[in-house]
This record gives sequence, C-alpha cells and structure tokens, in this order.
Amino acid sequence: MIAQVPTGRGRWRARLDDLKRTWYFFRRNTLAMVGLAILLFFAAVFIYGYVYPAPSTSAVNYCATDGPPPGLCSPTAPIVCTYPQGSASPGPGCYQTPANFNNFIPPTFSLSPLALGPLPFGSLVAPDAGGTAVDQGHFFNLYDLLVKGTDWSITISVSIVVTGAVIGLVLGAMAGYYGGLIDEVLMRLTDIFLSIPGILLIIVIVIAGREVGIGGFTDDVILVTLAFIVTWWPTYTRIVRSQSLVVREQKYVEAARASGAGNGRILRKHVIPNSVFPVFIQMSLDVGTVPLVLAAIAYLGFIIFPSQLIPEWGSVAAASTDVIPSLFQYCSTVSGACVIPWWQILFPGIALFLFAISVNLLADGLRDALDPRLRR
Amino acid sequence: MRMWIYVVRRIALLIPVLVGVMTITFALVSAIPTSERIASYYPANPRSNPSSPTIACPSNPSLQCPNPAYKVAVHALKLDQPIPVQWGYYIYNALTFHWGFVSQTSTVGKGYGGLPALKGDAVTSVLAAFLPYTLELALLSLFFVLIISIPLGNLAAVNRNRPIDQGARVMSFSGYALPGFILGSLVLMAAALWLAGGKATSPICTNSTAFLEFYGSWPSPNCWMWGPGLTSYGYPTWLINTYQSTPTGFPTIDALIHGDGWLALDTLVRIVLPALVIAYGTIALLLRFVRNSMLEVMNLDYVRTARAKGLPESRVIKKHAGRNSLNVTITVLGLTFAFFLSGFPVIESVFNLYGVGRIFAFSLVQSGGTFDFGLIFGTTILFTYLVVAANIIVDILYAYLDPRVRLG
Repeated sequence: MIAQVPTGRGRWRARLDDLKRTWYFFRRNTLAMVGLAILLFFAAVFIYGYVYPAPSTSAVNYCATDGPPPGLCSPTAPIVCTYPQGSASPGPGCYQTPANFNNFIPPTFSLSPLALGPLPFGSLVAPDAGGTAVDQGHFFNLYDLLVKGTDWSITISVSIVVTGAVIGLVLGAMAGYYGGLIDEVLMRLTDIFLSIPGILLIIVIVIAGREVGIGGFTDDVILVTLAFIVTWWPTYTRIVRSQSLVVREQKYVEAARASGAGNGRILRKHVIPNSVFPVFIQMSLDVGTVPLVLAAIAYLGFIIFPSQLIPEWGSVAAASTDVIPSLFQYCSTVSGACVIPWWQILFPGIALFLFAISVNLLADGLRDALDPRLRR
Repeated sequence: MRMWIYVVRRIALLIPVLVGVMTITFALVSAIPTSERIASYYPANPRSNPSSPTIACPSNPSLQCPNPAYKVAVHALKLDQPIPVQWGYYIYNALTFHWGFVSQTSTVGKGYGGLPALKGDAVTSVLAAFLPYTLELALLSLFFVLIISIPLGNLAAVNRNRPIDQGARVMSFSGYALPGFILGSLVLMAAALWLAGGKATSPICTNSTAFLEFYGSWPSPNCWMWGPGLTSYGYPTWLINTYQSTPTGFPTIDALIHGDGWLALDTLVRIVLPALVIAYGTIALLLRFVRNSMLEVMNLDYVRTARAKGLPESRVIKKHAGRNSLNVTITVLGLTFAFFLSGFPVIESVFNLYGVGRIFAFSLVQSGGTFDFGLIFGTTILFTYLVVAANIIVDILYAYLDPRVRLG
C-alpha cells in the first residue's frame, strides 16, 4: 500500500503534528528538560546582555582605597570603600580585604553608599590592559563581565558552528554523492586537517594572521573565528559525506533521477536535507565545546580581555587564573593571611560548565526524541 | 589481503597526508616577515646580527647600510627563491628534522627565573630534551584512563539505568564540560591549601634534602621552596645545567638509576595530580563509548545463546562479552592519544611542569608580542607526527585483530 503523501496545506499540518510528537517524546526525558531550562536561562541572559552597558575602563574600574574617598584615584571613577585587615572600618558599607590584597573582594551584596552596585560574583583582578603584569590598582565587577560575556561567547560559537556546518554540508554532500576523484581529494584534505591537533592548528592560524597584519579590536575576534572555522569544517564534511553515501543508494534518489532530475536538484532537494540530522546533533554539541576551546586558547595567551574589554567567558577565566601563580609566590614569602580568589576562577568556570552541559543534554534529548526507533 | 600488504598500503597513504600537513604549515610560515624568520630559523651568530636588513654604516654611523649578514642569511634559508622551490626545501627540512633554531631574542625557558635561556639551540634538541617529561605524564594519564574507563564502562553497561550507570553518566558530562585549566587550577589550589594551609609549616613538610631538591609542580607549600641543591627559585640542578636529566632523559627513571628513591617518588608525585586531571577529561569522553559498545555486544546473538544455555550471568559477561574488550581498548587508546596532544600545553602550564607543551606555551608569550616561530611550528609538526603515527599503529592493530579490515 502506498502511503498518502500530504500536499498543500495538509503538508504543513503533518509537519506540525510531527513537531508536536517530537515535543512529547522530548518532554518525557527529564535530563533533556533540565538542559532546555538552563539553555533558556542563558537565552534570557543573552537578551539582557544585549541591553547591558558595555564594560569600559572608566565605569568598570572601581578604585579601591584604604579609607573613605577621595583616595588615590581620579575623582570621576566610582569608588568602592575597602580597608585592610587589622584596621577599623572607616564607614558603613566598607568591607574588609586581606592585607596587601586590596582589590580581591569576595562576593558581597553590601557596599558603601558611594559605590555603584553590588559584587554578586566578587571582583576580578586581572592583568592590566597591556597584559603584562597583574594590575592591583583596578578591578572589574565579575558580574558585569559574565553577563556581557554571554553575548560574546554565544555569538562567536554560534557563528563558528553554523559556518562550519554550511561548508560541511555543501562539500560533504558533493563528495559523497559524486564520489570518484572529488571524494578522494576531499577525503585526503580532511585527513590532512584532522591530523594536526585542533588547538595547535588554531594557534598557528591566529599567529600567521597576526603576522600578516590582521589585528586590532574586532579583527582579533574575526581572526579567531576564522581559525576555528578552518579547524572545524573537516568534522562536518566527514559526517555529511558518510550520510550522503547512504542517501544516494536510496530508492527515492533513483526515482528522482529516473524522472529526469539533474544532479544539482537531487543534491539540493534530497541529499542535503536528509543529511542534516547528524549535522544538527554535532552542531548542538559543538556550540557547547567551542567556548571551552576558546578558554584553553585564551589561557595559552591568546586573550582578548582585558586589553580589548571583550569579556568572552574563556578570556575572563584565563585572566582570572593568570593571577594565581604570582599570588602563591607572594603568599609563600610573607606571613599573614593569604587570600585565594576562588570566586574569580569558580564563576566563569561555572558559566562555561553550565552552558556546555545544557547544550549537551539538549542535544542528547533531541537525538533520542527524533530517533525513529524510540518513537513507538 | 595479506597483512604486510595492508601495512605497506597504510604507510604509503601516510606520505600525501604528511606532505599536505607540511604544505599547510608552509603556507602559514610564509606569512611571517623575513626578518623574524631569520631570527627563528638561522643559527645564532654572536659576531653579527643577521636578522635586521640594515645596520649602522661603519663609515658613517648615522647612515643605514645594507647588512651583509642579512643577505647571507636570506640566501642560506632560501628565502630569495621562488615559492615552489621554497616549498620543496621546506618539506625536505621538515622530514629530515631540520627545524631551525630557538629564536635569538627568545626568553623561552625563563619561567619564574633560574632556567637557562634556550636561545640559539636547535629546535629538535630542545624538543627532544623535554619530550620525555611529557611522555611520562602521558603514560601515567593513559594508565589512569585505561584502569578507570574500561571497567567503569563495563559496569555501567551491565547495570544499565541503575545508579552506577547514572553516576557514570554524570561523571561523563561533568568531565566533558569543565575546561581543563579550571579544574586544574581548582585542584591545585585545594592541594596547596591542604598541604600548606597558607602557613609557613605543615605536617607534610620534611627537611630531607633529597626531598627538597626538586621544585616543580605545585606552587609552593613553603617547605618545598628553599633548600640546598636548589637555585633561588627551587629548580632542580639538572634542569639548570643541561635541561636534560641523565642518562635516559626520563626524570623518574633517572632518579631510580641514580639510586635516589625520594627524588623518584617526588617526581612521580608531581605528575599524579596533572595526570588525574587529564584522565578525568578523557574518561568523560570515552566512558559513554565503552558503555555503548559493551551494550551492543550484550545484545548480540551469541550472548543470547549463552544465556539460553543456562550459563550464569557473570560467566556470560566474562567469557563472551569480555572478548570484545580488546577491540574497545585499542579504540580507547587511539582516541585518547589524539585527545591528549591537544591538552598538554594547558595542563603543563597550570601545574608548572616542564614538558613539550610547556615549551610551546612559553613560545607563545614572548615579550613584545613576538613569538618563537621555530618552537611553535616545530611543536606543531612534532605533534602531527605523533598523531599520524598513533593512527597508523591503531589501524594496523585493528587489521591484525579483525581480518575484515584487511580484506576490505
């Protein structure tokens, strides 16, 4: 019996019913719903970050003094009142920081009336704008950075993943469908790119790009994005190719060819749409992985914060861990309390962690919900 | 086809891949300005500085004359030839391990002070000197990965959807989603706090000079910072004088050969924490794979037959499904290796270890924003060789175990 293929308006009805069934299966998976909830939270922060003021040196660099202002800072900078351990509080709302670490402020909600806003995630003491030494004269509000960083991280990783997927779809479908020389050449090419470890390839591309002269504010972000795309496209190409190898043997492709469809049309209408599913799953996994790789690269020195005030999560996490070795060296040679700014490492790490986990759970749940064998 | 034909074919396929990788790195290296390439790839010459095209004119110091040493260097590095010729020389040099020299302005090696600058040394000898330390770390991590992921994956598959499986799933997710350096930093802070508690003395400190002879992995608990046999920053003497321990180059083995048990234990202890951090991330990726392939095997017909025959479940698992584990182990090894190579610069930087990854990280943060290109590209090519070699070994092992692969 030949199944009736709905046409016209009935086609959209059928698709809607399909979506509803998918949602039903998805809903029954608790972990996937948790992932979806976290991801919706990040989406809300994304929108909030869009209207959030950009971190700028004058507004964000709080100047801590050892007593009520005026202190050592310019009068226009907002001033937060801190005082070292062992001395008396100069006023209400001033809070105590360990000796010699004036700006390492743990998460707190109460500040002096002269300050602007609480520090729910604590402060971030980062290398100064030149990136050379830990600048203890200024600090950032970690909350600002993480909110704005959501925007940057999500935008960068989505653009990388989407571009890589598009390239992979086009090239992989052609390679799998046409076969022969195109297939061989493309397979060798992906082999070559996959033989170089990912992080190293990204780093050498960024280096070469900087030497050629691409550098500066947004150029740096674009350069890093391009480096990622060059590293990521082989994965998608391979996935699409193996899928299209299966698709091209199907009966409907044969039928389309028999009814006179050209190769281009078959690729567009049959091969590519049927290869989208594994690509989609890989895309959703990669959106979570890319910020982690960005963090690793930032840790190795390709940091775009704070020199350019792009508080992408990875860069913020890397800037916050930079301060640890010099702290330990300092701590070991002086007596007295030693502060370890656990908050400035933990919170960016939590952001990355939650994002990656939620995306992973969502992708898992989608894959299970769309799997025909489980939809009985 | 016969085994050796497969091996030969597999190795022959390696050549175009290697050439392709070299071509990519050649294209990237060509983007670097000539003067910096000379600084990186030409041996250091204390008499003249070849890396600047003009120098103060001897006859009239206020003028700039062309630098003869520069022209000599450009010609020696073949940088005045057309691009295809340069490409040919580059491929030849890369395959014969002529990878240039550590840049003359490089400060690689000067970590927190005390290490000799490595400038002027050949890139290959620098990498060869520090590679054993990375290999020790890799082997220890591999050991942890194997002894944890395979039994745990099997357990998770056998107890499907029960607490062990859920726990393994959570471990898998958490290890995957946490960046390595953050986990490493948190572990490091916890260890340092536990050992020293921020105080000058702690129960863990000893005064044994042998135990104190080594500074390295962990930012100081105070007791390990100062002592005889150390430089002012506490680096071991072998790292200061020749940056290579004798006779084998592997610090732990050499310490045992020299009869210094404490030093060997110390070296080992310093790489346990980083190895665990690396292993945790790798296990996260592989645990699901081991579990899924075990599940697949358990649903196969011959396992069902064994159960139908009345064999107890434990014997079914051990004798029949367990045979699959060799295949799984090899795949785990292959995937682990490729994953390792990307992660070492970060972990070695966090735990202050001196391996190839750390050298790579150093060469990225030269002062003035310049890079040490010889070391960067040398490390990239080295890691690529290792990945390719690992893939070939895994493929050959597969072909040996599974005849279908050879015949396909």
